[in-house]
Amino acid sequence: MIIAENVYKRFRTDHGVGDWILKDANFTIPKGKSVALIGQNGAGKTTLLRLIAGVDEPTRGSITRDCSVSWPMGLGSGLQGSLTGRQNMKFVARIYDRSDDIEEISEFLEDFSELGSKLDQPVKTYSSGMKARLQFGLSLAFRFDVYISDEMTSVGDKQFRQKAKAEFKKMVDRASLIMVSHGEKTLKDFCEAGILLSGGKAYWFDDLKDALREYNKEIGMAAKQRRAKRA
Amino acid sequence: MATRRPPLQVTLSVWKALLLREALTRLFKGRASWFWLVAEPLAHIAILSFLFTVIRQRTIANMESELWLVLGLVGFFSFRRTAGQGGAGIASNRSLFVYRQITPVDAILVRSLIEILLMVIVAIIAFIGIGMYGLDIIPHDPLLVLSAWSGVWLFGVGFGLVLSVFNELLPEIGSILKLLMRPLYLMSGVLIPISIIPEPYQSYLMYNPIANGLEGMRSGFSPFYHEVPSTSVSYLHLCSLCLLVTGFLAHRRFRKELISK
Repeated sequence: MIIAENVYKRFRTDHGVGDWILKDANFTIPKGKSVALIGQNGAGKTTLLRLIAGVDEPTRGSITRDCSVSWPMGLGSGLQGSLTGRQNMKFVARIYDRSDDIEEISEFLEDFSELGSKLDQPVKTYSSGMKARLQFGLSLAFRFDVYISDEMTSVGDKQFRQKAKAEFKKMVDRASLIMVSHGEKTLKDFCEAGILLSGGKAYWFDDLKDALREYNKEIGMAAKQRRAKRA
Repeated sequence: MATRRPPLQVTLSVWKALLLREALTRLFKGRASWFWLVAEPLAHIAILSFLFTVIRQRTIANMESELWLVLGLVGFFSFRRTAGQGGAGIASNRSLFVYRQITPVDAILVRSLIEILLMVIVAIIAFIGIGMYGLDIIPHDPLLVLSAWSGVWLFGVGFGLVLSVFNELLPEIGSILKLLMRPLYLMSGVLIPISIIPEPYQSYLMYNPIANGLEGMRSGFSPFYHEVPSTSVSYLHLCSLCLLVTGFLAHRRFRKELISK
């Protein structure tokens, strides 16, 4: 379970304090529920993901977690370009104190990512889809209760997406996913509930379809306002 | 993963992982970077030793000038390289902070450790070199040498910690600190012996903790070395302690601001 209470977040900029990105966001993510974060660009989706993952702290308010949460997987984040995929894997295994299981993790990664000999080449030579395969495989090799993904599945090809989905189905009883994606189909594939971020507030929807409908309404309204202003 | 690991265990495993990762990156970043890693400071030392001994003079303050130079350069590099690497430690490790168990302090401390390991290797090679040249390379007071050397290094670690915070939050001050580091090479008695500088300026120069460290290293090496009379290694350690405490406190106080950017 993850509980966010009165979460406020803003960042320092070079010209003083920035605007509030999250303003009194409250929600509770029940155990085992996969959630999609939706909202327009700049609504604070990535910021919220980082807060949920515990990488960053809210300016005010609190986020409590009573489960293990993965690091936020984003495009190429947390990978060192000059090291090979395998060396990156070893590094992550070490910081999670799993150096004894490196062989097991390595086997899983080879099997899941299907990168073959590329696994022993520097990550900077990877395409973004290959990086996504590496990161996804890497995090799935560790047993987290909640996996966090920021626009990761969209860069993978169809086969990879099916594989990721199958892998998640397999462990649906023990793990869940919190994800950001602009592909509605991807969201529907992976998630059941939704959180809509709008104006710094977070709105919880038990059914993802309602969240998406609300989101589309919001976009429609914004477009209508723009048209009205022009007229 | 359900049980929580004790904090010390987390930190230790992070340090080990970072150490291996940073070492790998530094060693194999480019073509033969492992060679240049050691060769660059060694070449610096070799060229200056050549200039000093062949063209200029045999002894400085009653010490063979090769030895005098090597001690000064190794000591000074232990400060400057550590401070420089530490100061840039946050910016160049930003991608690591997606793993919440890794903090900026970890990255800087591990970099500092790598720098001193590197300097130990450089020192060993340099000493073997001048030993084969026929000079006595056994220190008469090894503890004093180690204490002074570690003092200079710790001063670099503290400087790096403080510099890294400024670099992130107040880059203007960071640039000023970096500017201040430049003349230190000339003012710490690395190339110009402070003992030949007349009073009252000599006393002013000895306010510089690094100068005290370098003189301490040299006087621990040879009992016949004429060090600057006011040399105090404890002064250096006190300054290092102040910088380290300031650096750690700043990292603790601004941990949120340092990570989120």
